[in-house]
Amino acid sequence: MINKKIIENVIEAALSTGGDFAEIFIEDNKGIGINMISGKTENIMSGRDYGIGIRIFKDFNSVYAYTNKSDESTLIQTAKKASKALLGENIISSSLINNMKIEQNHRIEINPSEISTKKKIKAMRKAYESAKGFDDIISQVTVNYQDYNQKIAIANSEGIYVEDERTRTRLAVGAVATKDGEMQSGSSSPGAQQGFEFIENLDLEWHGKEAARIAKTMVEADYSPSGKMPVIIHNGFGGVIFHEACGHGLEATSVAKKNSVFADKLGEKVASDVVTAVDDGTIPNEWGSSNIDDEGNPTQKNILIENGILKGYMIDKLNGRRMNMKATGSSRRQSYKYPPTSRMTNTFIASGKSNFDEIISSTEKGLFAKYMGGGSVNPATGEFNFAVMEGYLVENGKIIKPVRGATLIGKGINILKKIDMVGDNLSFGQGMCGSSSGSVPVNVGQPTIRVSEITVGGRE
Amino acid sequence: MRDFNVLKAKIYNKAKEIGIKELEIYYSQGRNLNIKVFEKEIDGYKLAESEGLALRGKYKDEMGYSYTEKVDETSIDFLINNLIENAKNIEREDKEEIFEGVKEYKEVNNFNSSLEKVEEIEKINFIKNLEEEALKIDERIKSIQDCVYGDGFSETIISNTKGLDLQDKSNLAYTYIGVVAKEGEDIQSGFAYKVTNDFSELDYKVIAKEAVEEAISKLGAKSIKSGKYPIIMRNNAAADIIEAFASIFSAERVQKNLSLLNGKLNKKVGSEKLTLVDDPYMKKGYASSAFDSEGVPTVEKNIIENGVLNTYLHNLKTALKDGIESTGNASRSSYKSSIGISPTNMYIKPGNKSLNEIMVEMEEGIMITDVQGLHAGLNPISGDFSLSAQGYKIEKGKIMFPVNQITISGNFLDMMKDIIEIGDDLKFGLPSSAYIGSPSIRIKSLDVAGE
Repeated sequence: MINKKIIENVIEAALSTGGDFAEIFIEDNKGIGINMISGKTENIMSGRDYGIGIRIFKDFNSVYAYTNKSDESTLIQTAKKASKALLGENIISSSLINNMKIEQNHRIEINPSEISTKKKIKAMRKAYESAKGFDDIISQVTVNYQDYNQKIAIANSEGIYVEDERTRTRLAVGAVATKDGEMQSGSSSPGAQQGFEFIENLDLEWHGKEAARIAKTMVEADYSPSGKMPVIIHNGFGGVIFHEACGHGLEATSVAKKNSVFADKLGEKVASDVVTAVDDGTIPNEWGSSNIDDEGNPTQKNILIENGILKGYMIDKLNGRRMNMKATGSSRRQSYKYPPTSRMTNTFIASGKSNFDEIISSTEKGLFAKYMGGGSVNPATGEFNFAVMEGYLVENGKIIKPVRGATLIGKGINILKKIDMVGDNLSFGQGMCGSSSGSVPVNVGQPTIRVSEITVGGRE
Repeated sequence: MRDFNVLKAKIYNKAKEIGIKELEIYYSQGRNLNIKVFEKEIDGYKLAESEGLALRGKYKDEMGYSYTEKVDETSIDFLINNLIENAKNIEREDKEEIFEGVKEYKEVNNFNSSLEKVEEIEKINFIKNLEEEALKIDERIKSIQDCVYGDGFSETIISNTKGLDLQDKSNLAYTYIGVVAKEGEDIQSGFAYKVTNDFSELDYKVIAKEAVEEAISKLGAKSIKSGKYPIIMRNNAAADIIEAFASIFSAERVQKNLSLLNGKLNKKVGSEKLTLVDDPYMKKGYASSAFDSEGVPTVEKNIIENGVLNTYLHNLKTALKDGIESTGNASRSSYKSSIGISPTNMYIKPGNKSLNEIMVEMEEGIMITDVQGLHAGLNPISGDFSLSAQGYKIEKGKIMFPVNQITISGNFLDMMKDIIEIGDDLKFGLPSSAYIGSPSIRIKSLDVAGE
């Protein structure tokens, strides 16, 4: 994407004050976002993100600079300015830059940029109509469509030059139900690392109906009860519990500085026996996958927890130095505007032995969280919170009635030990995860699980 | 600047040639610095120079948008082609207009030249001192989560073929620290920040003390029994909640039937003590501006006055639909977004009682000092919220012990109606496209879930 000789000169300039590693990240990203309200397109924005980030290490210190200009003099100036934050003299020289070939594991069949905007809108309208037509109680429906193609090139002072391309497509339906002046909402937001074939193969009507069904169910629901109780969290996006409660605490970003409750616990029992958890950035065409991470390492399947024992962390190059451990292909960034750091990709609890009916029927009294909303965590204390988008009361082994407005709170390390049943129905949900290197696409996932006790915040 | 004018002329010419009747350029460029310190060393250092350019133009009577971060002549065709393709596919009925501007705008100065002269070594020393101070105050502070200084400069130009030609420049510095306190198995965190464009206002001792006191005061925190409790929402927590609900005041959301304030104009939506101000001319207001993102002059207004909803926030499109004047609240969070609506400096008007007086008056209840999960546990469409929270148990008008692992639940409108008292301690959150603040507020009660 940029002449190799220029790249070598920029890396040379970056190392001029004693840096022991330098990297250049080049990004060219074109995409479109379409927003539809009441069945009519409201806003359409398309454009191009373009920029170059330069990163320099010296021991544990790191420096980052970026610019939108790609001419040699601006890049060398930017590298020199950044290098001034490190004090010293040039100690290493960059090795020759060699091409590293990578295999494209996430095949794109239909390049979305070759599909007309009209056709994209047609698909959106299909989802709109099925949501709006679901029931008279549905008062408003929004549909958002997004696709982008991100081309990147990464070169570093260890002689690596590698290029990659990521195409992602996503559709989100939001429905609002109104009853007696009260409004509740529901949504469904599938996405993948695929081209327009993702939309062509997607059951648009189902996603529209599902968003509408959640909104209708919730507007007719009573408030959730409060207090400590068993909670059954359904498969798919329910995996956000592991993502928030534990996943962030297993990122080297917080482990390296011992700001995580999981620091120094490798080989120790941190979860109940039924829990095995994995972060796998290699799964073909999944939302959180990529061929290489954003510092050029191939992504890999990382076992985090195996039968309750802590097996590994997600590690980037810089934190790997601090921890004296190898990087795990987990270094990610939103764009050239962020230095990369350890992040999740597709993170999930592996399938267990129980089936769904058995989990419900063995629960005397508790909450069934069918769809989760988002959440957040304080990695220092491990305290998490997240919202239940669609919940039900369970009594005597039966799902009794829908309840709304529930929030789950607790501490990650306690929850992991209280997972007492794991289902056999693993599936994924898509989300955007925000952290220090920006907002990145991630899959969360799990089979249906039961946690013997969580604090539920409701209003009854 | 000369380069920009040359590029602008070329874009205007090309657009005219191809049949784009009215065209507007939105250009912004800036510089940002962010420094992190960990154990006395520079742990992270980020320097950025960036720019972006967006077009907005009328093609066959519909508005099309496009943007690029590759700001040069090679992008002209890309921008124009995208604009046309997008305009062709707009279906909404409400028309978006390009504004010709007014003769005179008020003066607003968001740029402090002294900030640009601060040496980098002073900034680095500042956070090194901040980290050292935080570790020194109390031996229970075992580690520092984040210790950051940052500043930035940005310049925005809005220029169109109807004659509008506006420029705005601003700069800002911020610092924050997150500290971790440990006592036995108990781990608590504390956080403090300061935003200013006057470097001399940054006092590391004050910021360190605030973060440390916050963390230490939470040690020994426990959950409490579920139930209804009288509540004081401390200023920072109240500001966070108002910020999360800010979209309900947007006329766009109201017209699209996505706001719980639909149909509530000129009606009572809150306690008589409640006045909500949107002041684009506030001193030290980091969202201050004499004009909005469409070039419309901004105005100060009470959105809610003594509990009555006076106005929604409008841009030209929503105002036209309602047959009124724009309130000057058109907003673009960056060149990547289309024209939306946002408050400027919005805050609940402070009363005259101190936090302590309000605590004494309440006698029994909970003071909420921090809420989490605002992007998920709060629904701006229904107004319902259920948020993880921390705070203090108040008994006999005094702080008794720290509380955590609880949730507070309610509905935003009910909470506004249940306001009993408003404090004198107005505090603002971190600035984004809006800058939102609140004093501490006492609320009749909220549902609390705990043990």
